[in-house]
Amino acid sequence: MISEKEIEMMKVKSPVFLKIQWLTKLALIAMLFVAGSCVTEFIPQIEENAELVVVEGQITDRQEIQTIKLSKSLPFGERSTAKPLSGCNVTVTDDLGGKFILSETEIGTYTLPPSFHGSVGRFYTLHIKTGQSNRNLSYESYPVEMKPVPEIDSIYYEKVVVQEKFEDFFGIDGCKIFLNTYDPGNICRYYRWDFSETWVLRLLWPVDNIKCWVSDRSHDIIVKSTAAFDDSRIVGQPVTYISNETDRLSRKYSIEVNQYSLNEDEFSYLEKIKNLNAGVGGLYDKIPASIPNNLICIDNPNEKVLGFFSVSAKSSRRIFIEGDFRGIIDRYNKCPVDTIYGDYDPPDLYLTMWPILDHPQTFGAPRTRILTDDKGCADCTVRGTKVKPGFWIGE
Amino acid sequence: MTQLVIKNNSLKPPVKVSHTRSKILIIIVFVFLSFQSFAQGDRVVSGDISNMTFKEFASAAEASLKIKIYFRDEWVEGLKIVDYKGSNSLNQVLDFLLKGTALFYNVNKHGDVVLTKDYNVRIQGAKAAKETGLAPPSDYAVTGDNGKSEGNAPVEIGNPSEKFMPGDVLLTGYIKDRDTKEPVAGVTVFNQKLMKGAVSNDHGYYSMSVPRGFHVLRFSFIGMKEKSVSINLYGQGELNVELNSVLIPLKETVVSAQRSKTLQRFEVGVEKITMSSFRLMPTSMGETDIIKSVLLIPGVSSVGEGASGFNVRGGAADQNLILLYGAPLYNSSHFFGFFSAVNSDIIRDATLYKGGIPPRYGGRISSVLDIGSREGNRNEFAGNAGISPVTTHLTIEGPIIKDTLTYLLAARTTYSNWIFKLFSNPALKNSKANFYDLNGKIVWDLNKKNKIDLSVYTSHDNFRLNSDTTYSYNNNLAAFKWRHYFNNSFFLSTSVNNSRYDYEVSSSKNKLEAFNLQHVMNSTAFKSDFNLFHGRHEINFGLEIIRYSVLPGKYLPVSDSSLIAPRSIERERAFEGAIYADDKIVISDLLSVEFGVRLSSFLSLGPQQVLAYNPAYSKSLSTVIDTMNFTRGEVTGKYGGPEFRISLNFKLSDRNSFKVNYSRTRQYIHLLSNTASISPTDTWKLSDYYLKPQIGDQIGAGFYEMLMQNRVEASAEIYYKRIRNLVDFKGGTDLVMEDNIEKDIVNLNGRAYGVELALKKTEGKIQYSFSYTYSRTLVKSPVTFSEEIINSGKWFPANFDKPHDLIATFNYIYSRRVSLSADYTWSTGRPVTYPVATYPLYDGLLVHYSDRNRYRIPDYSRFDIAVKVSGNLKSRRIAHPNWTFSIYNLLGRQNVYSVYFTKEQNVFKGYRLSIFGRAIPSVTFSFDF
Repeated sequence: MISEKEIEMMKVKSPVFLKIQWLTKLALIAMLFVAGSCVTEFIPQIEENAELVVVEGQITDRQEIQTIKLSKSLPFGERSTAKPLSGCNVTVTDDLGGKFILSETEIGTYTLPPSFHGSVGRFYTLHIKTGQSNRNLSYESYPVEMKPVPEIDSIYYEKVVVQEKFEDFFGIDGCKIFLNTYDPGNICRYYRWDFSETWVLRLLWPVDNIKCWVSDRSHDIIVKSTAAFDDSRIVGQPVTYISNETDRLSRKYSIEVNQYSLNEDEFSYLEKIKNLNAGVGGLYDKIPASIPNNLICIDNPNEKVLGFFSVSAKSSRRIFIEGDFRGIIDRYNKCPVDTIYGDYDPPDLYLTMWPILDHPQTFGAPRTRILTDDKGCADCTVRGTKVKPGFWIGE
Repeated sequence: MTQLVIKNNSLKPPVKVSHTRSKILIIIVFVFLSFQSFAQGDRVVSGDISNMTFKEFASAAEASLKIKIYFRDEWVEGLKIVDYKGSNSLNQVLDFLLKGTALFYNVNKHGDVVLTKDYNVRIQGAKAAKETGLAPPSDYAVTGDNGKSEGNAPVEIGNPSEKFMPGDVLLTGYIKDRDTKEPVAGVTVFNQKLMKGAVSNDHGYYSMSVPRGFHVLRFSFIGMKEKSVSINLYGQGELNVELNSVLIPLKETVVSAQRSKTLQRFEVGVEKITMSSFRLMPTSMGETDIIKSVLLIPGVSSVGEGASGFNVRGGAADQNLILLYGAPLYNSSHFFGFFSAVNSDIIRDATLYKGGIPPRYGGRISSVLDIGSREGNRNEFAGNAGISPVTTHLTIEGPIIKDTLTYLLAARTTYSNWIFKLFSNPALKNSKANFYDLNGKIVWDLNKKNKIDLSVYTSHDNFRLNSDTTYSYNNNLAAFKWRHYFNNSFFLSTSVNNSRYDYEVSSSKNKLEAFNLQHVMNSTAFKSDFNLFHGRHEINFGLEIIRYSVLPGKYLPVSDSSLIAPRSIERERAFEGAIYADDKIVISDLLSVEFGVRLSSFLSLGPQQVLAYNPAYSKSLSTVIDTMNFTRGEVTGKYGGPEFRISLNFKLSDRNSFKVNYSRTRQYIHLLSNTASISPTDTWKLSDYYLKPQIGDQIGAGFYEMLMQNRVEASAEIYYKRIRNLVDFKGGTDLVMEDNIEKDIVNLNGRAYGVELALKKTEGKIQYSFSYTYSRTLVKSPVTFSEEIINSGKWFPANFDKPHDLIATFNYIYSRRVSLSADYTWSTGRPVTYPVATYPLYDGLLVHYSDRNRYRIPDYSRFDIAVKVSGNLKSRRIAHPNWTFSIYNLLGRQNVYSVYFTKEQNVFKGYRLSIFGRAIPSVTFSFDF
């Protein structure tokens, strides 16, 4: 019999592919330029209207709120918001006979019982039954094993000089964030990372809501395999790049990176998804295809279901960055403002305008108010919260 | 055997003597319309002839023998009878006088002597034909219109005493290039009266069965001056002909010999491209390119501009066997497909078999492109050098031993780096791209019966982009060939060749991940090919053995600090063997049959570790149940079987014919590619324990008709093809360094059918061709495991399915110095898969695609134009300069190469990419010396 270790060794993913893809594309671009090639925008004429069930769900070994989101896919090219799928019966079972019923806490969001948290080594299966209005279909995942994950060794950043200070031009800096990780047991071979970032925002004017904490999440799939390496050691894995065009680095910034263990099939699913979604339209793009996931429709095997039921152990690490970065563009410099004198308030003024400065009458000078029609310029809670997050250290 | 040298009057004397020609013609016509016989004994000129000039001797001979001697004064200037010790025999004196000149003489039935320049015909009769003459020509001679177009004194072949024997006789012979003495393949020998012909084979040998009597044979071939020879055929004999190649390069385009050939060929779907025809084509970057010429053939298409490879009748690009020097070429392109890998200077011709592949070829199911290479000039040193916007090339050739041992060397390289320097983008500015190729060929005629040649070819491509990752690939090819002539109708050609293709990618930017990746395909082949001509049969048989050795991938760390674990995928080894036999039989004037069979077999050998999968599931690492270890030399996979190749040729009338054929081919090696075009990192894979050979069956039929006094050739061909075990992949698979690739492979079945209509005029001042192809290529996945099902297991169009394809070409030869050519192409856009829905996952937005190849990119249309100017026409000048001005995509149409989609602010946008977004002008300068 073949051992699991052998299989692991056989299934070694190389990081070379993306490099080659980039390389060939670059060569192509060079030729294209010479040939006067061009790229024009267009909207494909689609003759079908695919509306498929999408499963977005992850369970981890953490003691935290764990949810499965169900929705319907969106027509291509439409900037519509998600269409959550309500009224489904969702359960998770494990290989020891445990059964956990999820409750719909928000429309389309199904939450596991608070007592639930996954255990490394267990196999979990997801079961979904859609409601009457959605054809009463039953979906199921394959049993998925929860693999262990090591802690993140370190997270660090590097200042990137985008533009040197040169005569009249200001210097511009960006920031790259990397991580190192190491599994001494060599068990975790496939990783995924995501992150949440928080930074301090301070408005330019002395308004009430002047200082807030703003948060965002990662939007890209970051995965890596160490199967090609002797050690499960990752050094200098890029996490994200912060450009000077955001205000993340203007004061204090913090990023928490979550590291997840993946099964080989989820890794290969995400790799393929990335390959297919990384198209630049070159000569060597992969032919698009539907990527098999770990979900099936029991009632009708031809009915496609999108998404993935992910089972991972999770570890996290946070750093703060408070550096001297140059050339950061402050979007509030461009706030549209207007000034009114005197006490007269036009009717409904404060429905569409917000004051950023109210200077009382002094020594014959009239009362002066500076107003803006962009609420965000007058109130930091438009983007963030005034409540200092629990993890925040210092101001 | 006595040799009678009979001199003939040249059909096309050199350029400036046309006024004399007409005189001679009239005389000759008069001569052979009066059917008097004349005994050509040994005639002696009386008197002292020593120190006479040619003219004086001629006058003396005319006076004493009562004959006429025809010649031009300037031809014989300086010819004098000095130090002559022979007799006064007319023939001996003429032999002496004309020795070492370009002049030949012919004695006609009256005993009159006609001198010709630059032209002769040797006749070898079955018996001594010297004292012929007595027998009058047969009844066939009394046809009125022969004299009108032909100016030759008839050549007498065979023993006159056999004149009244019954039955047809076999006429055979060799055709050579007069300048280079190379055998000329593909020459049409056409007997207009019988509307019957033959085509010379690779040895320049032809044979045809003809009734006794008077015939006019026309020998024609593109790039050669057409020649007609009149014969009086008494019995079996041999007629060897030397054709003049056209001295002035421009004129190559004028001479064309395709017209009657199509009617005579056995195969359906065979196209021959000659050097001259593709030299004239408009070019994209100033380079004449064999693959671009192939793309003008009906039934051949590519997925887009700059794509390597081509698709023949709905076949994938790896289903084409490209032979250079008889050896397979595994990567046929430079610079990712923008140039073809074979230097056009070494090409003599190229034959594309898109259907009706002869049994001597095998191993690929769509087509064979056999690139015939030139041999070095046998008489004198010659060369060619040229320069275009991106490349420069040099060819030299000549004899080492005159007429016996020749060489040809060609080199081509690019200096395209300047293009990168034009960029402002630093990533491109720091990039480099180079390629070169070298060809060498030595041909040695050991003796009359044996000829050997040795050819080598190497090509190299190298890219370094943004000073980071280096990518390179190489073709190395060596071929040795021995040709042995047992007798005039039995030849053997034995060859040994090796072809190696490898690529290498390396990067050292990130020290921890510095790597080097290598892939090698190596094949060594032995082939023995016999040709036997016997009466109405032309028999071809032989054997072929190929040994393959493939290194699928080797992935190594580059430096000590690299964390890359060295890895190598197990080497694959295999033998492919075939024996074949083929007989072309002329059953009657109206029906010819070709029947052949190729028995091919394939053995893949250990050592090899093979995984066993649970057959109840689609193969994947999670369904592995066991590992099988094969030891060295143990057979891991065994495939093979007979491949029948049959064709029938019906001649319906003098002007049209109908042909049918069937062929089966097996393909044991596969190019693993999951991109639309061949990508440089695609790897070769041998059939093995799991991977079955691809099998193609094709049935085709063609109807051919000559229109407008045989000047225009019309053809219609249809075909239906069935392909089994096409290689496709489960979606999104990475093929680089992938072990146990069988788990990612899905075998598809395919079918293709189409109609190809063509109209061609290939001679005269105005030449044109129109072709229209309707073709479909559909594939279907097996309905076994859900992972392997594509489009619910229904038939869907293949990536290169382009139903409508229209090609028009036009050449106008304004003068010998100036010619203009243009071509126009229009075709349906290739199929694409569109994204139809988006969905969120992991805070990102992903795309869901439509059924595979459900939509199409817009139609393709392109118009190109080229003007060729030759600087000087004198054939004896030291160098002949040539200028080619061409504009590719004159209309500046932005043909869509592909469509793609990117995510911008969480919304997907679609884009169209055009490779040539405007007209591309180019100038090429070259000169022959």
